[in-house]
Amino acid sequence: MPIPDAHAAPAGAAQPTLPEEFEPVAALLAVVFPGAGQWYLGDRARGVFAAVGVLGLFLGGLLIGGISVVDRKDNPIWFIGEALVGPVALGVDYVHQHHFKVIDPVTGRLRPANPDEARDPATGRAVKAGPGRGPPYVKALGRVAELGTLFATIAGMLNLIVILDAAWHSPRDPALGAGTPGGAR
Amino acid sequence: MMMLLAWRPFLDPMSLASTWWMLLGPLALGISVAYKAVRVPDMKDYAGQVLGMTAQIIIAMVLLWIGSFLFIEYLVPLIAP
Repeated sequence: MPIPDAHAAPAGAAQPTLPEEFEPVAALLAVVFPGAGQWYLGDRARGVFAAVGVLGLFLGGLLIGGISVVDRKDNPIWFIGEALVGPVALGVDYVHQHHFKVIDPVTGRLRPANPDEARDPATGRAVKAGPGRGPPYVKALGRVAELGTLFATIAGMLNLIVILDAAWHSPRDPALGAGTPGGAR
Repeated sequence: MMMLLAWRPFLDPMSLASTWWMLLGPLALGISVAYKAVRVPDMKDYAGQVLGMTAQIIIAMVLLWIGSFLFIEYLVPLIAP
């Protein structure tokens, strides 16, 4: 159902704005992968640039702070923002929790390995580090942790804008106003 | 050198203790690339809009830094010597 556009140009204006329409498939695709909604709607350049921006920031955050910047258990508030990147962020968190954290031998809880510990691949338990065997990753601290988390969280917040743009879409180019999904709309 | 050899990308944090502020540029650029992708009416203007927004963010942050510096270093001592 078309939604009235508050920014529609008045009658007689040079460039009429096309009405926004709810696009459920594009919304779903946008949630699954950044920019996929715009790609589906035919705005392929927008989709590619949105994906480059969102994933660039998210991967940039991972590069700066390491995998520890995406952690739903130790950093739940920031993870809400990071999760808006979509399954990519959820997958990174899953790998972090299940393949890089160690099980504390005393409490039985998952935690980052200490510098003198390694991860037993069979049990996931923390074991003493030895030659050629160290912690699976180093937890970011201080400013590097803040910046890595900031990059990843801003990526998620920007992806929310990208998702909303795909879900309630208004083609900017009148020539793209109608057509088949995936083609020129 | 040993630190650089031991660093594992995407697993370990980068060593940016004194150069962290240089990340403002990539951060501003990334924000502009994603935001302007869904905001520019015509993609022909995209590159210019991205560069403009990146410059605006960097200039605004530098001005905020200067303002904060002046406030802390000069104004606060006047208020509470």
